[in-house]
Amino acid sequence: MNKQRDFVLRTIEERGVKFVRLWFTDVVGTLKSVALAPAEVEGAFTEGIGFDGSAIEGFTRTSESDLLAFPDPSTFQILPWRGNIDPTARMFCDITTPNGEPAVSDPRNVLKRSLAKAADMGFTFYTHPEIEFYLLKSADTENGGPVPVDRAGYFDNVAGGTAHDFRRQSVRTLEDLGISVEFSHHEAGHGQNEIDLRYADALTTADNIMTFRTVVKEVAISQGVHATFMPKPFSDQPGSGMHTHLSLFEGDTNAFYDPAARHQLSKTGRAFVAGLLKHAPEITAVTNQYVNSYKRLWGGGEAPSFVCWGHNNRSALVRVPMFKPNKGQSARVEFRGMDSAANPYLAFSVLLAAGLKGIENDYELPAEAEDNVWELTDHERRALGYDPLPTSLDHALAVMQRSELVAETLGEEVFAYSIRNKSDEVRRYRQQVTPFELNSLLSVL
Amino acid sequence: MQRSNPLSQLAKAGFSDLSTASARIDELEIISSVSRDELISCLARAADPDRALGHLLDIARDNSGVLTAANFRSRESLRNTLAKVLGASNGLAEFLKREPECVETLSSQEVRPLRDSDAYSTLLLASVGANPVDYQPVATAEGEDAWVLMRRQYRRLLLEICRYDLLAESATEVFPEVARALSDLAGATLEAGLAIGRRTVTLDSGVGKKFTAEQVSLTKLAVIAMGKCGARELNYVSDVDVIFVAETADENMLSPDDAIACASRIATEMMRAIHDPASEPALWQVDPNLRPEGKQGPLVRTLASHLAYYDRWAKSWEFQALLKARAIAGDRELGESYVSSTRPLVWTSASRTNFVDSARSMRERVMQNIPTDEVEFQIKLGPGGLRDVEFTVQLLQLVHGQQTEAIRSAATLTAIDELSAGGFIARADAAELSEAYRRLRVIEHRLQLRDLRRTALVPNNPEDLRWLSRASAIGTNAEEFIHIWEDTKERVRQLHLKIFYAPLLLAAAAIGESGTTLTGEQASDRLRAIGFKDATGALSHIAALSKGMSRRATIQRNLLPIILAWLSEGADPDYGLLSFRRVSDSLADTPWYLRLLRDGSGAALRLTQLLSGSKFVGELLESIPEAVSWLEGDEDLTILSEQELTDELVALAKRHAPIRTAMPHLLQVRRREVLRLAMGSLTDVLTIAQVSVGLSNLYRALLGVVLETVRGELDDEDYPGARGATEFAIVELGRFGGGELSLSSDLDLMYVYRDTGAGQENASKFSEKIASELSSLFADPKLPLEIDLGLRPEGRSGPRVRSLDSYRAYYERWSLTWEAQALLRARCAIGDAKLCAEFTELADEIRYPAQLTDDQIREIRRLKARVEAERLPQGADPTRHLKLGKGSISDVEWLVQLLQLKHAAEHPSLRVQSSMQALESAAALDLIDRGDELMLREAWMLASSIRTAYLLWANRSSDILPTDRNDLEGLARILGYGAGMTSQLEQDYLATTRKARTIFERDFFGFKPEEPARYSIENL
Repeated sequence: MNKQRDFVLRTIEERGVKFVRLWFTDVVGTLKSVALAPAEVEGAFTEGIGFDGSAIEGFTRTSESDLLAFPDPSTFQILPWRGNIDPTARMFCDITTPNGEPAVSDPRNVLKRSLAKAADMGFTFYTHPEIEFYLLKSADTENGGPVPVDRAGYFDNVAGGTAHDFRRQSVRTLEDLGISVEFSHHEAGHGQNEIDLRYADALTTADNIMTFRTVVKEVAISQGVHATFMPKPFSDQPGSGMHTHLSLFEGDTNAFYDPAARHQLSKTGRAFVAGLLKHAPEITAVTNQYVNSYKRLWGGGEAPSFVCWGHNNRSALVRVPMFKPNKGQSARVEFRGMDSAANPYLAFSVLLAAGLKGIENDYELPAEAEDNVWELTDHERRALGYDPLPTSLDHALAVMQRSELVAETLGEEVFAYSIRNKSDEVRRYRQQVTPFELNSLLSVL
Repeated sequence: MQRSNPLSQLAKAGFSDLSTASARIDELEIISSVSRDELISCLARAADPDRALGHLLDIARDNSGVLTAANFRSRESLRNTLAKVLGASNGLAEFLKREPECVETLSSQEVRPLRDSDAYSTLLLASVGANPVDYQPVATAEGEDAWVLMRRQYRRLLLEICRYDLLAESATEVFPEVARALSDLAGATLEAGLAIGRRTVTLDSGVGKKFTAEQVSLTKLAVIAMGKCGARELNYVSDVDVIFVAETADENMLSPDDAIACASRIATEMMRAIHDPASEPALWQVDPNLRPEGKQGPLVRTLASHLAYYDRWAKSWEFQALLKARAIAGDRELGESYVSSTRPLVWTSASRTNFVDSARSMRERVMQNIPTDEVEFQIKLGPGGLRDVEFTVQLLQLVHGQQTEAIRSAATLTAIDELSAGGFIARADAAELSEAYRRLRVIEHRLQLRDLRRTALVPNNPEDLRWLSRASAIGTNAEEFIHIWEDTKERVRQLHLKIFYAPLLLAAAAIGESGTTLTGEQASDRLRAIGFKDATGALSHIAALSKGMSRRATIQRNLLPIILAWLSEGADPDYGLLSFRRVSDSLADTPWYLRLLRDGSGAALRLTQLLSGSKFVGELLESIPEAVSWLEGDEDLTILSEQELTDELVALAKRHAPIRTAMPHLLQVRRREVLRLAMGSLTDVLTIAQVSVGLSNLYRALLGVVLETVRGELDDEDYPGARGATEFAIVELGRFGGGELSLSSDLDLMYVYRDTGAGQENASKFSEKIASELSSLFADPKLPLEIDLGLRPEGRSGPRVRSLDSYRAYYERWSLTWEAQALLRARCAIGDAKLCAEFTELADEIRYPAQLTDDQIREIRRLKARVEAERLPQGADPTRHLKLGKGSISDVEWLVQLLQLKHAAEHPSLRVQSSMQALESAAALDLIDRGDELMLREAWMLASSIRTAYLLWANRSSDILPTDRNDLEGLARILGYGAGMTSQLEQDYLATTRKARTIFERDFFGFKPEEPARYSIENL
């Protein structure tokens, strides 16, 4: 720790850093930031920075207000978009209670606990997210709703378009921050883009996603547009998902790979997928946490609304992609349910827990879905045993509330808070009288 | 010479199997031409003459030429040396049989001083045909041949060291030299192993990837010794802990990845050369598992990769292990930079809080892993063993080493000297600790030497102990050896306390006489390191306790080190020390107290545990200090029967009549008994159920005696004829009625009377008077007692006392409201027996109704729902309220009561006042699922235990699971969690009650599982 701490302190001096932002994430998945003057950084490493936890969503019970944030020097980065005027840096923090125990409500700690459990079983967990988002002309929703920056489609190269510059600038900024980008392209929706991050261990990926969202928003501002990770901003355009590739390693070996097995998916891999499927409904309120998430999930397009898996089947909730021969290390499965607005720490935690449960209890993988699930009739789907995911946040919460798996994984306090907070969202949503109701009922009734 | 008594002569020389020995000596005399007497006189020097003789004869039979060549006949020194070596080590004897010409090694006239590390390296490298002056020597010998050559050379040199050790005047004196030589010899062997490795990886015959000689020469590989070898304090036989660091010498010619791959193979081959089986047996295990990530991690890493690991992932014990790191073989420059860049990490790790706790719990874990029957014989890990000495030294190094560079040596003995020179250990203590350490190490060495095996177990049969005594020159027979060893262990244990804690006393008293001059600052460091928050306050208590020349002060001075150690293990050492001082002050002149402190270490330990963990006990002890004496055994901590208590209370009430003046004495008995139960429960002498019985006994006796006394004392003129013609009884309700009282419970009561001829008004007034007397008499500011009449009909707005008829009329009119529910736990046993019986009969009719209608069930459910909304205090978190919160005490009790109301008429086993017993009956009757029953029980018990634990910890009642970390820590300790487990306690409580709540909502409210309950915003 010492050396990295020294590096941080030295860099602050050498680069004339004026502010250091301490970053952490609340339970909902919003990035929180405390700015420090350089002189306070050294103290923050040894004693932490006290802050009022009760002011942060879900962070603590109202009565315990004093929490400490300890910056992790290995996450130190100068923020490139600030330029050379008042250079600003950031570090992610671990949150502890005043007596030094990790705070149970810190999402980063939730994920660390889940990873530790996987480590006890001999696994490390890697993830690789494909993050979709929309670029809008502004955040203004007056006058008929948001307006996308272009009308292009999947993989379109838009000449002179904002999106192209935007992606180039974003990718460069991310690389400056040490985050490797695998791929970026225009997505199917108007103004919709996708950027894929290189696979990394789940904690790093979650940190990277938080940074990514900030970068994308900052770059958008610098180009005079607005970026949104809202799951479904347009009813007639596809929603923004965050398909995530998951893999487990035992030491240096990919635990999902077995050259002799069907789809080269090992027994461990099959059990993992079985776990994901079996527990998919109860974790949906975490992977798809907003009222709006369910408009993506059930809004048609390519959203995976039914619990099934397939090999290169884009309608399945879990896809087992084709691996390139001799590339056993890249064996992985893709979970397609999650959306871009999930809290990555909590979402990765529940996905991992569901998969591990499958391994622990030797779940049997159900038959593979070979048809396009969207084209089946309801009765066909029922006959084939493809259960639907929850149809609304309300429904998802009801299922999650019975889940020991989610309670254990999130910890009691985050679990209770999430249910409370999300039930409140449902209640507030229900109080709305929507244009749909007005348009269809007002004149008739 | 006394040829006439040949066997006695042998016995005197130390042989035990006399006739065999005699015959063998005769044979040896013939082969070697050395006279019998001369043979006996040399063999008498051996630790085990019989065995030495056996080995000698074996060598002579097979190779008499060797003995002749070495001048066995003419050289007495050779004979003596050989006898000593053969008598001490079967392992080396076997080696000499395999390599007889090595006998020559022992024949030189004078004992040469031990060689230095360069000399060992030169000899070992030469043995495998490597050129010692090369930067990277490469062996010319190949395969197993190379291994054997190296191992033979190692054992030849080991023979030299062994001879030096065994012939020394004092083994403890030369121990540091011997341990140093063993470490250097091990280092030289690692060097030779590398030379073999460098050769092997270029050969086709090897397993694994082949490398060219050029690639090998470009691979920089350093071996770092850790542990004992790193500290240059190695044993004869123990695992040698190593870490490998490598890099390429030139990135253009050898890629870093290839360098690591090559280095890994060399390292693997090196280890095989040392510890894989071959015709010359393996030397010892090379253990590379202290490396980053242990067994899971790569065998070889670059320096940068090591440092990255330590920066991010390493645990505190890994930093402590780095204290011993030393570059021992291979590339010196690389090795040195590893050491110099990791060394500072050791000292920053010490700044972490709780490192004493973590060091201590690690030590306890080690102890727990020793099989119990071995603990007493473990010279290394057992109490008072080597690890205790090392622990003492390391602890002091970690506490003070950050500030003081001069005490950072890796070697235990050097560190002791440095600590002494720095004034952290008194000179005399340092000398004693050092002596004890050497003595224990010499014993360990002799044990290992015998069969060249790694062992730290002292044998427990007389023959082996006799041998060990002779070999280590400790005592002259088994008994003496054991005696000295036990003594050493005891001293080591005491020295730990003395060295770590005693200087605190001196610092407190500011007397610097016995050599240590711990400054106030340093003393505060130590106190803070062990968990005292207010070091200044603690020092002033220590000063007060140890000041003066009185007997008490002397005893306390001697005892304070251990007292401090014990207090520091509790949740609140500061309070513990303060109240220890108060108890000591108030018992200052009680002879038994000093005796108890001095002799009954068990009692003193218990006392410190109570004081540092419970303010409730601490405060009560202040007014009843004599209760300390109960701690000596368990007998005084058990419960008294109702009869015993009644007898005592009746006597007191009589002696101090009237009741107004007697009451303080009766309440003192109550405080005393509550304290007894609290102490019994905290020391685990009493179970929760026993505490309940004890409390019931106490309050029944107390209420019974006070009731009778009050009734007897009321003036006849005020209530003419009422006394003889009014029956009166006290009904126990709530937990009291259920026999489930805990220390934190209130007493729920109702009063009932019956006019048997006094006239209704008269009887009513008389009873009213009794009731008001009872309420006022029980006020006790020192230990408040809450008598709660709120469960009576109409609650607080109803009359305080009712006649039996009035109860009947009331219940018949308003049956099945919450009052009826309250009756489920009513027990009427104090007062007039006939009235009690009739009240019980009445209660049974109400509380076990023949039928419960749906309307009635709905009414109960609605009532519960309303209570949940209304009774919870403003702003309280329902998930943390222990009584009224979700899934906590009241949920469980309401569910049980509903089951009783529904089914008790039909099932007599449900007609019990205890909630837990009723729950058990319900499960036995299949009225509730067995798994659900266990979950509900767990929630009820946990919530109840937490309430009691909070009272014990804070001396205050609370119905809410605290959020303050300090309070949680105190609770967690009482509930049996380890230090720093407060989040776990919260997690357990929240999870248990959440599950209980789910069951409750289904079984009580009738929510169906497929429509699960929803947390409504209003409720949360």
